[in-house]
Amino acid sequence: MMEKLSPFHVAVLVYMSQIGIVVFALPRQLADYFGTNGWLVLLPGLLVTSFNIYLITLVHRLGDGKSVFEIMERSIPKAVLYPVYLGLCSVWLIFGCMIGKKYVLLFQMIAFPTTNPMLFKMAVDVLLFLLIIKGIFTISKAATFFFWMTFWMYFLLFWFLPSFSWVRLTPFILQGGHDQVKGALELYTAYLGYELSILLFPYMDKSKKSLAAIYAGNAFLSLLYICLSLVCFGFFSFGQLKKLLFPLLDLLGYIQFPFIERLENMLYGFFLFLILMTVAMYWWGALEAMRRVIPKLKIPVLAFLLTVISYCISFIPKTLDQVNNWILYLGYAATGIAFGLPVLLIALLLLQGRRVSRV
Amino acid sequence: MYKRLSAVLLLLLVLLLTGCNSDERILEKLGMVQTASYDLAENDRLKTVYSVPVIDPESSERRQLLKAVTDSLKEARVLLSKQIDLRLVSGQLRTVLFGLNLAKEGLGDHIDTLLRDPSIALGVQVAIVDGEAGELLSKSFKSNKDTGTFVNHLLEKESSSNIIPPTTLYAFTRDYHDDGIDPIVPIVKDQGDRAGISGIAFFQDGRFVMKIPSKDGIIFALLRGDIKQGELSINLGERNGRKVRVMFSSMLNKRKVSVQHLGDNRFKFIIADSIQGSVLEYTGHEDLSQSKKRHELERDVAEYIRGKAQEMVKKLQQNNVDSIGIGQYVRNSLTYKAWKSLDWSKVYPGVEVECRIKVTIKDYGKYM
Repeated sequence: MMEKLSPFHVAVLVYMSQIGIVVFALPRQLADYFGTNGWLVLLPGLLVTSFNIYLITLVHRLGDGKSVFEIMERSIPKAVLYPVYLGLCSVWLIFGCMIGKKYVLLFQMIAFPTTNPMLFKMAVDVLLFLLIIKGIFTISKAATFFFWMTFWMYFLLFWFLPSFSWVRLTPFILQGGHDQVKGALELYTAYLGYELSILLFPYMDKSKKSLAAIYAGNAFLSLLYICLSLVCFGFFSFGQLKKLLFPLLDLLGYIQFPFIERLENMLYGFFLFLILMTVAMYWWGALEAMRRVIPKLKIPVLAFLLTVISYCISFIPKTLDQVNNWILYLGYAATGIAFGLPVLLIALLLLQGRRVSRV
Repeated sequence: MYKRLSAVLLLLLVLLLTGCNSDERILEKLGMVQTASYDLAENDRLKTVYSVPVIDPESSERRQLLKAVTDSLKEARVLLSKQIDLRLVSGQLRTVLFGLNLAKEGLGDHIDTLLRDPSIALGVQVAIVDGEAGELLSKSFKSNKDTGTFVNHLLEKESSSNIIPPTTLYAFTRDYHDDGIDPIVPIVKDQGDRAGISGIAFFQDGRFVMKIPSKDGIIFALLRGDIKQGELSINLGERNGRKVRVMFSSMLNKRKVSVQHLGDNRFKFIIADSIQGSVLEYTGHEDLSQSKKRHELERDVAEYIRGKAQEMVKKLQQNNVDSIGIGQYVRNSLTYKAWKSLDWSKVYPGVEVECRIKVTIKDYGKYM
């Protein structure tokens, strides 16, 4: 019998592919774009993502858990599908790659200011390559392992409670922000990663629990975002929060234990596990899409080619700002895919269903 | 084959580590700045002194002092790194001292520069030196040869006992960027044979405006918020030809505040403190074991604290510094639009502030 992902592993995998580099800047973005009590925006965020996940579960139900590629290939000629696959592959591949690059650039800023970031990037990419050639079950096991390895970090939030003050939150709801639409799109990248669960269908149980697990992973992420942002809004003053480019880094830097202080370099290192999983999932998605185009090529060779291509592309943006821009635009594309792909599949499935019933 | 490939790739990972050569940090070769001081020099320039601990156990010196006069904070670092055979790093910076004259000019920009550096954390202590900060840092006191470390420990200890509020870069920037409160910073002074905390400095828009002596620190702490520890010596004057002094210790304070709108942009702010504590010294005649007498003493102490608190609030209002954070509560009692259209710095001096103090004597020691 083929190995299947258990609901818990699906939930962890979804959560681990969602939490990524955006979390470092998230509280500031909320304050900057949405103003006072910007953390409240995370609640509609949860609703929108849940709706998107509902679309994904609908695909699962209508398609009876079949692979999305199979569903598409049944009705659309391959000549039309190949550019779609190429599009999916390139967006996911480069999006993942830029997330990795941003992590590396931040790491360079706080710990190794003059080392060539591309050396770190190569180290990360080698790890990622070794991970994705092993397939989704190994990725899932690694994700679960990394999840437990980083689980204790959430408790660090308690450190900030003594300096937390409700007064700083102000009673004003979303006042003093700007460019909310742009902000909302930018913030949405913080949730991205759940859309890859659509590729997990052939690998998970067909039970309802597996689908509920996708919601659970997303809800856990939202809860974590809300806690983190709430702490930031009460720990920092509103004006101060808007000035901090990466509030999470400042939070980490503030932690001192009697026996050790300035832990942020070590703590930041732990975030590598979270970033690794996000990138690994995007690359795995890219690999899955590419396998449909070139099915004859062996997976490691294909994975190697993709890794090399992405590594070469990651040379292009040099500064943190440029990487941010790439992530922004690729984030738009990934958001489009997150909604567009399930909608397309539902349309196809309905069409196919009608055809079958006519026969 | 893949195993071999994996092995090769892992080897490659190890080789990659050699790439960090330029960022290699060898402890013995690092000059870790522990305390930095900044003063205003002539022509609006900046006088910087770094105190770098000497790690070599054979050296008789415990620290190395580096001095420079430059146009900017970070230029000083470039210049100072040329005076030392070690690589200067600021990741272990614990305390930043600013001279009083520089504080009067404004600290906002300097603190901004400090925080831009990713190696400087928000937990760094900030203090003002009554006089020249560089002079104080350079001086070796008999009791403590390393003044920087001493000041750091002093600030940590005092802020934990609430005599001065905790003041780190975090607290300063937090209040500096908040529109309803002004930041405060402890003042350190050269007291001849030692350095000591002489008071609290009050800032408005990053500029030093006024100060209070450290003995009034506890009164200010009671106005600013809850406290978990504190001591206050109270002089109740002469009664029946005897000087009455009370030492109130292990103080716990719960502060409650409320805002009343008096109309026409006028506000009344009520601070209600509920203080508990032990009496460790009492030189009066009364018998404290009688609850009636004890309650009388409680009222006397409360009245004393209230008087002092009202006096302090008045002084703060006269200097237009809202370090208690009255603005935060007024802001939260208004709509966003009303708060934004309010010129708080004009309204603040006219706010009616009422302090209500309730004192409870938990115990009066182990002596009748």
